Amino acid sequence: MASVGRPLYNFLFRRNYVFLGVIFASAFGFEIAYDTVTDRIWDNINKGRQWKDIRSKYIESEGGDDDE
Amino acid sequence: MASLTRSSRTLLRTLPRSSIAPLPVRALSTSSTKRDATTSSFDSPFKGMGGDTTSKIPDFSHYKSKQGSNSNLVFQYFMVGTMGALTAAGAKATVQDFLVNMSASADVLAMAKVEVDLSTIPEGKNVIVKWRGKPVFIRHRTADEIKEAESVKVESLRDPQKDEDRVKKPEWLIMIGVCTHLGCVPIGEAGDFGGWFCPCHGSHYDISGRIRKGPAPLNLEIPAYDFAEEESLVIG
Repeated sequence: MASVGRPLYNFLFRRNYVFLGVIFASAFGFEIAYDTVTDRIWDNINKGRQWKDIRSKYIESEGGDDDE
Repeated sequence: MASLTRSSRTLLRTLPRSSIAPLPVRALSTSSTKRDATTSSFDSPFKGMGGDTTSKIPDFSHYKSKQGSNSNLVFQYFMVGTMGALTAAGAKATVQDFLVNMSASADVLAMAKVEVDLSTIPEGKNVIVKWRGKPVFIRHRTADEIKEAESVKVESLRDPQKDEDRVKKPEWLIMIGVCTHLGCVPIGEAGDFGGWFCPCHGSHYDISGRIRKGPAPLNLEIPAYDFAEEESLVIG
């Protein structure tokens, strides 16, 4: 364990600016991953009810009826 | 006199000590002699008072990590960093939500710009278009009107502004049709100065939209506009 931890510690945590940079970078990555996952869950729950799911039904008959 | 009272006081002070309290003095003296026997320097006054069980340091080896200090170090920094990352992401999302909430929504942005085809407006005619809920006057001015607007002595005006500062092309005058007095919509081609006249309180604007007479304090406002092409005007 010590043989694994020591280079990790030296690389990531030893200098504070590196530590901080790693924190912000991982926050950036985490946010993207979190947003993607939660959006996918939301879309999955509301499948067939959103505009992007039913858009194809209405865009085809675009010129015809506007009153819908 | 003073020496007499002092001597009587010392007598009074020493008398009870010597007669009543010989016991605690002896007890103190015995402890001090014991302390002196062990060390010559300062030592705890509670030493040797029978507190062996309280001063014994317990054995912590059971709680000590068996993995060595390094993995604990990495774990602790990892937890601190993870919490920092989550906090940073949450703070960024909070701030972003507020900023998005404050920015203009899609329906507002859709109404933000108005495009006008200028080729349909003949010379010497007014057109009123609606832009962001307000009327906008577009006047295709004739050469005489341009000359008239430029010949006005600017210093004599209430809100001194040159005609060239109010137009981008001299033949096209574009301004917001809201009276600067109390917000009525002035009537075009009316008033004493050949420009606009506000029917509410009688403000007269000239052919450059500048206030000439009446209660209004300022010239008619000029919106942000641009000539996208030669014959096309984009307001906003």
